[in-house]
Amino acid sequence: MEPDDMQDFAAEARRFLDAHAAKAPDRTAVTWGEGDDSMAYFSSLPPEEEAEQVRRAREWQRIRHGHGFGWITGPPEYGGRGLTAVHDLLYDAVESEYDVPDTGVLGVVGLGMIGPTILAHAQPHIKDRWLPAMYRGDAIACQLFSEPGAGSDLASVATRAVREGEDWVLNGQKVWTSVAHHSEIGLALTRTNPGAPKHRGITAFLVPMDAPGVEVRPLRQMTGGADFNEVFLTDVRVPDDHRLGEVDGGWTVALTTLMNERNTVGSEGAGPVAAALSPDHLSALMRATWTWDDRALRGRLAELLVDAMATGYLNDRARRTLRAGIAPGPERSVAKLMYGQNLTRAAHFVSECLGPRIIADTGRWGTYAWSELLLATPALRILGGTEEIMKNILAERVLGLPKEPVTTMAKEVRS
Amino acid sequence: MTADDSELKELRASVREFMEAKSPEEAVRKLMESEPHFDTEVWAQAADQLRLPGLAIPEEYGGDGFGLVELGVVLEEMGRALFCAPFFATVLLAAQALLASGDKEACARHLPGIAAGRTTATLAVAEDNGSWDPALITVRALPDGNGGWRLKGRKCFVIDGTTADLVLVVARTVAGPSLFAVDRSATGLSAEPLETLDATRAMARLTFDSVSATLVGADGAGGRIMARVLDIASVGLAAEQAGGARRCLETSAEYARVRHQFGRPIGSFQAVKHKCADMLVQVELAEASAREAARLATEDAPDFPVAAAVAHACCSRAYMVAAMENIHVHGGIGFTWEHPAHLYFRRAKSSQLLFGGPAVYHERLLDRLGI
Ligand SMILES: Cc1cc2nc3c(=O)[nH]c(=O)nc-3n(C[C@H](O)[C@H](O)[C@H](O)COP(=O)(O)OP(=O)(O)OC[C@H]3O[C@@H](n4cnc5c(N)ncnc54)[C@H](O)[C@@H]3O)c2cc1C
Repeated sequence: MEPDDMQDFAAEARRFLDAHAAKAPDRTAVTWGEGDDSMAYFSSLPPEEEAEQVRRAREWQRIRHGHGFGWITGPPEYGGRGLTAVHDLLYDAVESEYDVPDTGVLGVVGLGMIGPTILAHAQPHIKDRWLPAMYRGDAIACQLFSEPGAGSDLASVATRAVREGEDWVLNGQKVWTSVAHHSEIGLALTRTNPGAPKHRGITAFLVPMDAPGVEVRPLRQMTGGADFNEVFLTDVRVPDDHRLGEVDGGWTVALTTLMNERNTVGSEGAGPVAAALSPDHLSALMRATWTWDDRALRGRLAELLVDAMATGYLNDRARRTLRAGIAPGPERSVAKLMYGQNLTRAAHFVSECLGPRIIADTGRWGTYAWSELLLATPALRILGGTEEIMKNILAERVLGLPKEPVTTMAKEVRS
Repeated sequence: MTADDSELKELRASVREFMEAKSPEEAVRKLMESEPHFDTEVWAQAADQLRLPGLAIPEEYGGDGFGLVELGVVLEEMGRALFCAPFFATVLLAAQALLASGDKEACARHLPGIAAGRTTATLAVAEDNGSWDPALITVRALPDGNGGWRLKGRKCFVIDGTTADLVLVVARTVAGPSLFAVDRSATGLSAEPLETLDATRAMARLTFDSVSATLVGADGAGGRIMARVLDIASVGLAAEQAGGARRCLETSAEYARVRHQFGRPIGSFQAVKHKCADMLVQVELAEASAREAARLATEDAPDFPVAAAVAHACCSRAYMVAAMENIHVHGGIGFTWEHPAHLYFRRAKSSQLLFGGPAVYHERLLDRLGI
């Protein structure tokens, strides 16, 4: 039993949602042939529709914030509600029963990863300036970490920041920056001390994306849409007060973000993700494709569901630990790893049920649509840390196994 | 006729050279978004300079009389390059169906044009559910009273269905599934292009509204013809898959040598090294199974149907693995539209499922082994 205040909180959330949204259709309990069959994991909307979706996301966040549900765990001085992570989870659970606009464009990177980092490391007036705006839906944030030469090895970022009076001048190129084209701010990792060991010469800055010298160029993904971008920084001036953490102490800042990234990416989602891993949806698909009694496919389905459900239990346990006030550790990489693999297996399982029906669009409901999820799966094994990086974390940080031998030059860099 | 090793090598070299010149990535990208999905001039050159369409057509029908081994070499190279051309449908599906029918008159009428590269053709088997099982065919053929036939119904997933000059159709008569020849310009035939996962292989839905057709082979022989065609076509497809898989492996290994992270080439991390080695294992098995099946076909060996089923399953798996891991080894850049990795991923998935998919071809293998 939840304590009374929890019940009150849940009831309040329900009242708010009843007044502002309709009950959600359950995407896991499908009536074959009815409703939306889109399986797009990444947006593949034409620009006008995408802009409209972003507008709706911002508006929903504003409404949510106006009623005290925009930043449940946030400190009241920045517009937060000052409640616990448990309240946050409870709200998510209640909201998932309703049909509300998809706020992924704000949530996954900005509110999920960058917000907590700003809260932990920014100077007070920068928090004042950006946190309320972010949680009100006015400011979308992106993560300017990866570079062409620095992906898995994030500590080798080469974008330079050089101090000039009260400002820093940034020059370099970022890549794979999700939602940069919608963002007002970006959290950038830069090199400020080329002489120091790699991890110790990095500084983090909050970059206003409309600053002169910031250029965002869309990058088309293999799915056809353009959710991520290249970002070019040319003589971009950022005031020193936009620095997060110490000069040359940006690696600590990055770790806050990366920790939150693993939590965000590893958790289950709604929409296509829920459908792809739902026993009801998958069994309906098997009936529709006459593969219901195919023993080999039944075996595959069972294995897929074992993994998907066990991953769900793992996440449930992590949430309970969180309620007890214990921060998740590197073992959360298991969930991130499984998330990508479960969805990948689901997409391939489905394609085998569908057979040729997924290779050309015959117009039949719930068939070719799955190709959208299939084409997104390779990214799930890469984004937010590749499978190999996750396994290295598990082996080295959880199991304490020795690192792979490195050259002396690279040694201090990996410490 | 059978080419010896040095002739095969020469054939491979000349086809590869042709592909590099005529089917570089830019050409593939341009063609997959144009209509038709192939370059008629390049197709004519492939016929005139290399005599590719006629390679495996008997000399009596204007071809060079080689077999599946030589065809396999060509298909491996085409698969590597994702060559956009009506080769697969014309030479592997349609020409082989004509030959398998044993209908000398039909062969004499259609094969010389195919061999010369003047006629393109396709084979329409699957319907809305995509199955190649003759028992599931619903398109009907009725005698027209003058010795000819009329077709009624719909075919789907027909490769090059909007462009092929000659369409061979498996339709049902009172006697059972039978093969028919339909001219592209026949009244009542309409073709609608389909959006495809793999845009380098065009597909269409064909509607037959009482279309006049000529019986090919015996009435009711469709099932037997289809079994033979599927064996040959799946070995040809296997060769194409092996070529594509080899290309993915080469690209990955090359990238793993030059891409540095943590101060060293990523290929020096055991995880990446083993991934590439796993890909190599798959590719070696794929090539061996595709080539061996082709060899058994030319010897008319009783083991051929089993070998064909093995090649089909083995190469489908190998290509899918290689295409997936190729993206993964490349990291973020492998997930971009501009990088060719996704073109191979699309082709690999599409090929894996072309004739029904793993559930179907695994069963075929066990069936042939008497299990
Ligand atoms: C859809 C998508 C969205 C993204 N969004 C963002 C974003 O918003 N912001 C941002 O900053 N970044 C973003 N990224 C970038 C992402 O974090 C990187 O792609 C990822 O960390 C891998 O880096 P890389 O692409 O440079 O690959 P590399 O690091 O070059 O890796 C290539 C291959 O080598 C392997 N490898 C590398 N190092 C090791 C090792 N030590 N041991 C074993 N194997 C190794 C990898 O596992 C991989 O298979 C996004 C990526 C994708 C695909």
